[in-house]
Amino acid sequence: MSETFPASMHWLHTWTGVIIGALLFAIFWMGTLSVFDREIDRWMMPATRLAPAATVSLDAMAKTMTQTGAAEWGMQLPTDRTPIVSGYTVTDGTYAFLNLDPATGKPLHDPATRGATDFFFPFHYSLLIDQWQIGKWLIGLAAIAMMALCVSGVVIHRRIFADFFTLRIGRKTSRTTLDLHNVAGVLGLPFNFMIALSGLVFFIAVYVPGIQSVVYPAAGSSFTQDAFGGFDRDAAGEARALGSLDAMAREASRRWGGDTARIVRVTHSGDAAAYVSFDRSLARRVSMTSDAVIFDGPTGRLLHEHRTGPMMTTQRFISGMHFAQFRHWPLRWLYFASGLLGCVLIATGSLFWLQSRTKRHMNEGAVGMPLVRAITIGATTGMIAATLAYLIANRLLPADAAALGQSRAQLEIWAFFIVWIASFAHAALLPRRAWAVQCWAIAAGALTAVASNAVTTGDHPLHAALRGQWGVAGMDLVMLAGGSVAAIAAMRLWQRKPRLVAGDPAAPALPAA
Amino acid sequence: MATSLLIALLGCVYGGFALLALSQSRNWTLVLPGRPYPAARAGLLKAGGWALLATALIIALVRDGPAFGLMLWVLMLAAGAALVIATLSVRRR
Repeated sequence: MSETFPASMHWLHTWTGVIIGALLFAIFWMGTLSVFDREIDRWMMPATRLAPAATVSLDAMAKTMTQTGAAEWGMQLPTDRTPIVSGYTVTDGTYAFLNLDPATGKPLHDPATRGATDFFFPFHYSLLIDQWQIGKWLIGLAAIAMMALCVSGVVIHRRIFADFFTLRIGRKTSRTTLDLHNVAGVLGLPFNFMIALSGLVFFIAVYVPGIQSVVYPAAGSSFTQDAFGGFDRDAAGEARALGSLDAMAREASRRWGGDTARIVRVTHSGDAAAYVSFDRSLARRVSMTSDAVIFDGPTGRLLHEHRTGPMMTTQRFISGMHFAQFRHWPLRWLYFASGLLGCVLIATGSLFWLQSRTKRHMNEGAVGMPLVRAITIGATTGMIAATLAYLIANRLLPADAAALGQSRAQLEIWAFFIVWIASFAHAALLPRRAWAVQCWAIAAGALTAVASNAVTTGDHPLHAALRGQWGVAGMDLVMLAGGSVAAIAAMRLWQRKPRLVAGDPAAPALPAA
Repeated sequence: MATSLLIALLGCVYGGFALLALSQSRNWTLVLPGRPYPAARAGLLKAGGWALLATALIIALVRDGPAFGLMLWVLMLAAGAALVIATLSVRRR
């Protein structure tokens, strides 16, 4: 630690950034993709690119669901972002998933992919490490580090107001990098701080386990009851058909001032004691309400209504700001842009560290620098390339693909991790042109992904837009734009003479005399 | 209506930050190299800039109510500032 306050903040900012930068980039990148997870799902599951259904009959879909014979089942209802019904059944504690066409109530084919909602999104909040919730703890650590970086960054920024508008893109690359880092940091400050803090607030029960026992000393579910509602009763053991779900949905909507339901759950399906829970839509407010209405299955009589309490509404509001499940397109795009800006912030921070220290560290014979460089390259450009590999695998693997005992959905994830690991190896072994080569890979990958979507589904951006598939068209256009940026970056990097110093393993061997 | 308010909002944040940028002599000489920097009236530019940003807040609140309106305003501020910074950095080249 240094002696003066700004100097110690400088130290904190530098080393927190170096140690946690790669992890932060992964979380920010996956979070940014998750802003449009439903749209990426449509891109990756062509069979679900349906026109919005004019009328959705819950009873027609209930028929399909009851035919599965499951005692417990539920459905996520269509929204303007998801034209399908995502159903699930629970048999002896095991979940099974099936998608339904809301227009007909008939099941759709298994998409054979985890898409974005079941890969990018869990990557974002758990790093896919579920053991002892290690992933969530690492993410909590990264969120705290992000807030520390925001604060220390403001402290060490020498001319935050004077340089507010300053972005000098010019010949001196380290100047450009630092200006970009400063601008991205200052403009993204409210968003980055809010997103890190709200992420922590959402997982409060993970990070402060048992916190609710302060107010709810008795063991049991009274906390869950108060916070999230909940209703339970045993099965009667007497068969009885389910009443009309559509009628129950109308009553729920009336109680919610016109809001619709987003999830319907049926417990003890086919039993005389069956009950149906409706969760309120999240479309019209920031807060992720836990409002629910529960009806008696056979008669449709109201059994219980849960209204989110004031304390929970606060927690749900902060969580809702993070989750962005509301229906608000300008905000959704601003979240996406802010997420990308966060990625730029993290990448330029690491890059500036490398640019300003490579020479000195190599001269001093420090061994850490090539390691940080390889990790930074793999974690940034490598992560983007791996994402594109996942999308390309999704479009090019045959529908019944399976290899080495892995299903098609698993093979897509293999494609992601193989490319990601390869990008680290490439950056470590061939660092001379690693940035440029990986930027080329991103440009080529983006073009390949767009082309493979056009060839395998016929939905090239124009076609997709003309038939109202804006999610698919937008996904292609964003990839084309991103690929173009990567191509420009690659060309610039390629033209530049790689600056290497003696002692760097990346420097070419001296020609024999 | 919602779309035109959104465009007005973007115009206000862009205009607001543009005026704030012009109140700094460095950016003034960059954008208007022929005209001397009006040091005495820089405060006026600043006040105009802040007024436009405040107008943007009102537009956002009218359009979307307090919760969505505030979020939209804060994120639009960043977008407007980013556009001004991009404009200046294109002018600089």
